[in-house]
Amino acid sequence: MILIAIVIGCILGAVIGIYAPMVPYTYSGYLAIAIIAALDSVFGGIAATLNKNFNLKIFVTGFFGNAILSILLTYLGQKLNVDIYLAAIVVFVGRMFNNLAIIRRYYLNVWENRNSKKTVNSNEKAQ
Amino acid sequence: MKQEIKNKIIISAIIAGMCIIFFAVMFMQFKTIEETDITAIENMRETELRTAIAEWKGKYEEAQKQLEANQKSIKEYLEIINDNGEASELVDKDLEESDMKLGKTDIYGEGIIITLSDTQEYIIETFDLIDLINELRYAGAEAISINDVRILSSSYISQPKDGLTMISGQRVTSPFVIKVIGNQRYLSSSLNLKDSGYIDRNRARGMQIELQTKNNVQIVKSTNDRETKYMKMEEK
Repeated sequence: MILIAIVIGCILGAVIGIYAPMVPYTYSGYLAIAIIAALDSVFGGIAATLNKNFNLKIFVTGFFGNAILSILLTYLGQKLNVDIYLAAIVVFVGRMFNNLAIIRRYYLNVWENRNSKKTVNSNEKAQ
Repeated sequence: MKQEIKNKIIISAIIAGMCIIFFAVMFMQFKTIEETDITAIENMRETELRTAIAEWKGKYEEAQKQLEANQKSIKEYLEIINDNGEASELVDKDLEESDMKLGKTDIYGEGIIITLSDTQEYIIETFDLIDLINELRYAGAEAISINDVRILSSSYISQPKDGLTMISGQRVTSPFVIKVIGNQRYLSSSLNLKDSGYIDRNRARGMQIELQTKNNVQIVKSTNDRETKYMKMEEK
């Protein structure tokens, strides 16, 4: 059910995005950093789900909170003439890789477990 | 059981909403970047563009300042030219006026013409002319000529010998035609005073005097040009 919701949401979002008005180039930097933050939250959420400690409240607040915070930081950086958004990108992308690693390991584990189970089963059958 | 389904629906809805927002923003961004790349700005970064704009703005302002300065100086020059024009016009006018007053030009205007002639009883003398000139000046005469010799401030009337009258070195003889420009009324009335006036006085002595008023008395310019050697302008 959740999967269906995700798919429907993605398609609807894509359609809305395509037909939405263009963002001025000046603000696209903020939007990009917000997207990275949101993406980080999504991977965090997936990793948490796999670890079975997923919390919707944390996910939602992280999703929006990180995006807004990163936008504010970028804005501040522009005011200070410091590229703070670089730091935000480093942090978010680093965390994304971490989460990806967690996800990868989980599925590797699952795959290995399945393989070993299969071999055990076949061994049992053979015996 | 029902509660669980409800929770699941809520979670699904929330996640679907987040997905919508996320993808919408992402695709907007894609579109923006794509379009921006297509349109003009090519490889320039925003900061570069900003500096370029600032540069051009500075140049524009500089040019504007230059333009303003130039316009100001043009205005000043024009004013100076105008002033010069006015000044030279004024000078010309002054010059004309002083020329007229100095008798360097032919002039005309309202006035009177007096004709004095010798008779057998009386021969006109220098003093009669001087007296007449005095009277006329008193009555406000602006320009006087005797037999077309202009009487100026430097003119003199002399009688080197009997019967010979010279005005500024030119010989004049009877009849003396004296042309005067000035207020006709004042001139004629001061000459016409009963008994004590010039005409009555001299008629009594036997002189022949005719007086006529004219609206267009013409007086020729002075032919006598005197050099000034000794007088100098006091410096202010």
